[in-house]
Amino acid sequence: MKNKPFFAVVYMFIVTAFFSSILILFAQLTRERVEANKQLAFEKAVLAVFPETAGVEKKNIHTVFVEQFTEDKTSGAWLWKPSGKLSGYAVPIEGKGFWASIKGIVGVTIDRQTITGIAFYEQSETPGLGARIVEPDFCGQFVDRKIAAGDSPIGIKPPSETLKDNQVHAITGATQTCVRLEILMNDGLKQWQQSMSNGGPQQ
Amino acid sequence: MSPQPAKPMKDLVADGLWRDNPIFRQVLGICSTLAVTNVVLNTVVMCTSLTLVTAISCMTVSLLRHWTPRNIRMMVQTLIIAFYVIIVDLILKAYWPEMSRNLGPYVGLIITNCIIMGRCEAFAGSNPPAPSFVDGLFSGLGYSLILVAISVVRELLGMGTILGFAMPYFSSDLWDKWVIMVMPPGAFFTLACMIWLCRSIKKKEAKS
Repeated sequence: MKNKPFFAVVYMFIVTAFFSSILILFAQLTRERVEANKQLAFEKAVLAVFPETAGVEKKNIHTVFVEQFTEDKTSGAWLWKPSGKLSGYAVPIEGKGFWASIKGIVGVTIDRQTITGIAFYEQSETPGLGARIVEPDFCGQFVDRKIAAGDSPIGIKPPSETLKDNQVHAITGATQTCVRLEILMNDGLKQWQQSMSNGGPQQ
Repeated sequence: MSPQPAKPMKDLVADGLWRDNPIFRQVLGICSTLAVTNVVLNTVVMCTSLTLVTAISCMTVSLLRHWTPRNIRMMVQTLIIAFYVIIVDLILKAYWPEMSRNLGPYVGLIITNCIIMGRCEAFAGSNPPAPSFVDGLFSGLGYSLILVAISVVRELLGMGTILGFAMPYFSSDLWDKWVIMVMPPGAFFTLACMIWLCRSIKKKEAKS
């Protein structure tokens, strides 16, 4: 029986069906948690780009997010209104990294000239190299950088170069990640600027 | 499936950890050794996942060994390994999202780690479940032993920290951080030195 050709097919079919059903069940059981974690990571990133909301405790993140942030459907950015008054923009950026997509948030002041902070909520860059874009040493560099007019609002330059007021230093050994990050940040910012100049949100 | 004389558990432990160590004896699973050893915490989580997956996969392969036709055994093994890896991945995503983000694609890549398939083929396919579990467990631990050693060296020399904690001297200005150690070339240097060291010790052992 075991050596008949059909047995191999039937056996493989049964084994696959068995393990797959357990997996599907398990994925269903954890789906809510996984989704909630994703949402929380996003909300945390939005809060992290403004110094005033960056230190919020983990359990309060969702409440603060719901209270102070509203989505602006036309530009895609989140409007920060701590006491009902527009005080900043959280601009989502997204694009291809070295391995997979990088998703993050750039905080911009109300005059749209200066960056208040940057945070990432999804990335699969190389641990210890590209993945270091999430570390304060790198992200902190963006605080108070200007957004330049023209084709490249911000720049990520090699550590040996002297910086202009819209540039930061790249991470040594993570050239590919930094090159792609520069592109996706500039694309995101330009797109947002464009949608803002076509009307923008009601204040 | 030729019957083999049963090995005592003691030998399985010693083989996995030292005598037949997957890294410096068999030189298996090198891709992940090079990739995840730049920071100790990532290495520890990766090693724990791999050890668990190896042990449980070996046990499952062993449980099914009497029914699995020889010509499709590798398909079945891959399926079993992938199954456990996805479970580990889901658990990390649901309960430890930060670590899941740190390790990125590497958890999924446990599937391709040669140690698991190697143990399934070499041992679990022809031995009962309990010894297979022990064999897989200690092969995984043998792998972990060397990986943790490598990652300690790399994180210390490259970043001046261990598990993210600043170490005296190495994190001060006296130590000029060797950035190359946390980059891919550092992994090659450290791995080569580690294999050299372990094999030299082993040679001495054999002589005496």
